[in-house]
Amino acid sequence: MATTDWEDRYYDIDQVLNTPGPRTDPAFLAGDGVKDFLRNQAKILVIGAGGLGCEILANLALTGFKDIHVIDMDTIDISNLNRQFLFRQKDVGQPKATVAAEFIMKRVPGCKVTPYFGKIQDKDDDYYLQFNLVICGLDSVEARRWMSATLVNLVDPENPESLKPLIDGGTEGFKGQARVILPTITSCYECSLDMLNKQTVFPICTIANTPRLPEHCIEWASVLEWPRVHGDKQKDTDDPEHIGWLYTVAAARAKEFNIEGVTWALTQGVVKNIIPAIASTNAIIAASCCNEAFKIATSSAAYLNNYFMLIGTDGVYSYTFEHEKREDCPVCGGEALDVSISSELTVEEFIDYLVERQDIQIKKPSLSTPTSQIYLQAPPQLEEATRPNLKKKVKELVSQGGEVTVTSTSLPFSLSLQISFT
Amino acid sequence: MSTAEAMDITVAEGQPDSKTRRYDRQLRLWAASGQSALENSRLLVISASATSTSVLKNLVLPGIGHFTILDPATVTARDAGNNFFLEGQSSIGKSRAEEAVRLLAELNDGVVGKADTSSLEHILDTNPAYFASYTLVIAHNLEPKLLERLSTLLWADDTLPTLVAVNSAGFLGEFHIQFHEHTIIDSHSETAPSLRIDKAFPALYDYATTLDFATMDPTDHTHVPYVIILVRALADWKSAHDGKPPQTAADKKAFKEGIQALKIKIDEENFDEAEAQAYRCWTETRVPSEIAALFQDPQLSALSPTSPPFFHLLDALRQFTLQPPHTLPLTSTLPDMKANTGSYIHLQKLYKTRAEEEKATFKSFLAVPQDDALVDSFVKNAHGLKVLRGKKYGALDANPAALASALAESPKAAAIHLALSALAAVTPASPQPTVEELTAAAQALLPPGTELPDEFSDAVGEVARSPTADLPNTAAFLGGLVAQEVIKMITKQYVPVDGYCVVDLVETWTGVV
Repeated sequence: MATTDWEDRYYDIDQVLNTPGPRTDPAFLAGDGVKDFLRNQAKILVIGAGGLGCEILANLALTGFKDIHVIDMDTIDISNLNRQFLFRQKDVGQPKATVAAEFIMKRVPGCKVTPYFGKIQDKDDDYYLQFNLVICGLDSVEARRWMSATLVNLVDPENPESLKPLIDGGTEGFKGQARVILPTITSCYECSLDMLNKQTVFPICTIANTPRLPEHCIEWASVLEWPRVHGDKQKDTDDPEHIGWLYTVAAARAKEFNIEGVTWALTQGVVKNIIPAIASTNAIIAASCCNEAFKIATSSAAYLNNYFMLIGTDGVYSYTFEHEKREDCPVCGGEALDVSISSELTVEEFIDYLVERQDIQIKKPSLSTPTSQIYLQAPPQLEEATRPNLKKKVKELVSQGGEVTVTSTSLPFSLSLQISFT
Repeated sequence: MSTAEAMDITVAEGQPDSKTRRYDRQLRLWAASGQSALENSRLLVISASATSTSVLKNLVLPGIGHFTILDPATVTARDAGNNFFLEGQSSIGKSRAEEAVRLLAELNDGVVGKADTSSLEHILDTNPAYFASYTLVIAHNLEPKLLERLSTLLWADDTLPTLVAVNSAGFLGEFHIQFHEHTIIDSHSETAPSLRIDKAFPALYDYATTLDFATMDPTDHTHVPYVIILVRALADWKSAHDGKPPQTAADKKAFKEGIQALKIKIDEENFDEAEAQAYRCWTETRVPSEIAALFQDPQLSALSPTSPPFFHLLDALRQFTLQPPHTLPLTSTLPDMKANTGSYIHLQKLYKTRAEEEKATFKSFLAVPQDDALVDSFVKNAHGLKVLRGKKYGALDANPAALASALAESPKAAAIHLALSALAAVTPASPQPTVEELTAAAQALLPPGTELPDEFSDAVGEVARSPTADLPNTAAFLGGLVAQEVIKMITKQYVPVDGYCVVDLVETWTGVV
């Protein structure tokens, strides 16, 4: 054991590591072996050092994980301080991963936290292969899809070590969920994509012509007026001057149409798609994630199979269930997804349809068949070359029962569709 | 209006101040009213265990006003290992309350923290008035005899604080909120209030019945809000059917077909919306049964000028609903629907004007005038009002028959509660109790001869395995759950849990007993 482990440091935790419980797997090796693995060998990766990430790091450190890595691409904002408890006012503007790692190492002696201030996409397979477990505490669907798909792709059936359990948590207000994913074995993040709430998208014609809600006025300012007035200048939703401009423009439009309710807070909420977040919900979900990591790493108790959902708005309601694998999951299912479309549909309409579909949710897809390119978003030359296809009917380019491969830079996998025409 | 002109308008509201920015993500849940309730609260936390500091962390961050940690203990080696709000070995031997308060207070400059190193027993013996200045008291794994004394003291007088008792051992935990009476105006109910399409108020009815669909400009036709279409279609239907709304399945089908027949173009989505919402025409708007039940509340029959404002408002509501059309007051919140700006804003104005009129009627029933903002909030949230009355801590365990029926109804959750109660009963006399001792203690709480369910052996086995373990993950999980409930109690928003909330972190689920 490392020298920083003073006597009785783990008095509480050792109670469950010295003795099995009634529901503990018989393979559990109580005692020194499991403690040595947890404290001296296990290497764990935490994705996100925000609301969930701060909690996850603290819990992992206290339960005895000593080699923790953390990735986060963000810097600290004042609005993080109501819940991201490893950060102080003086840290605003600093990278989250670095500040969080330093705090944990100072508070929990002997725990090594290695930060990476950057994107998960910067790292390659070899990097991810070094960990025993990955915990995600993210607010981005795209990053989760990427991580889940990457870990699924990492699985080599010949090498059991290549299977990295992924524990994923998420919260919104008083609600949250935690789940355990055993890549290729249990349902992956992609399998459950249709469980996500559909984001409200306001039709452009409503925004432009018939606004009714304050949100419509804000979208008008953000989507139509900003590019019209500022040209190519990038809108920065973290810049108070930019939000101030949007607010002023939206408020003027609202006044013109007799619409009430445009405020600074609403403007910011709409343009940044702000999700309410509080310390207590993050604490519950992060604790659940870390508890699963602890149980998987030690076998001291059965782990979650495989989805825990909490609703804390009306009493304490939770639901634990097994989310089923999707046979036609584009990431872990292996079968092509059957898609039935009208023979009148143009390629452009087909792309809109794919973007809209709740179980696909792909941004800017590029399409090809095994023998030809239908439409490519990039590079510009190929985009230009394939652009005329947008107006053609899909049927002119794909035969009945034919396969279409869909790719997008936002996803580390391609989607196989089998097309039938109606 | 051009953008240049827009820029000339004086900004009514600048960037929010730094406090608003700090609390932005929570203000979107409980608003300024909830925040001010938090900032005016004073919490007492008994013991600075890992679970206690986890709870407090989640309350200091959102900005409660004050907290006191009452704990005479000094930091042990084991505390220093499992509590994030102690500084490892350097805290060992120091006051546990003082160390925890120092590190918790760092989280938020707006919160005052105080350490009290006296013993609870001494306070109960010599100064029972000690508790009166707090809003809420939280105790974790408190010795059963002291918990019994404390809960009895706080239960005896309904002006004394709410008590949250938390117990945990290893992967299992539970908590109970002992409160006297808890009224909620803004429960954040997810059901929307009625639009009263079936009982259209005069201005809405007149507007809908005078519209001439046949001669209307085609663009306007596509933008008639579904509410208007339905009010009109219902009026037409009733005049052709002896004043009765569609009743049979055939009626309803015919009614929907009638709506579709009003279309002049196939893609008029406002008529599709009307068809989808047609059920509103034959679902009578009445006072929801949960709200009608509140009118039987004993506080109403004993209403006096000194009764809490909530009950004055509730009584005014009761009187309001005695008048036709026997509904709750109208709210002006209109959902979004297919419409153009003019037709939507006009409809919104009709609702707003009527809501104001009904609010004035409502106010005329108030025996004691109330603050305008309170009246607004009450009327707006009338469909989700709640009156909760809690139970004394330990009442369930003192009633063997009730405990037995809880065990029969929800064996999994009740088994955990029973195992933790058994643990409390045998410790501190037996700090390392056996499964047999614990089972005997559980049996002693139940009517003679009650058979323990299989789930009990799972629960009691975990308790015997780790009777004194305050595991960091369990502490954090309970810390989050308890803080959520405390926030709901203090802000009087959302609905707190009723009964014992139990937690099993082996299979990861929560339940209520």
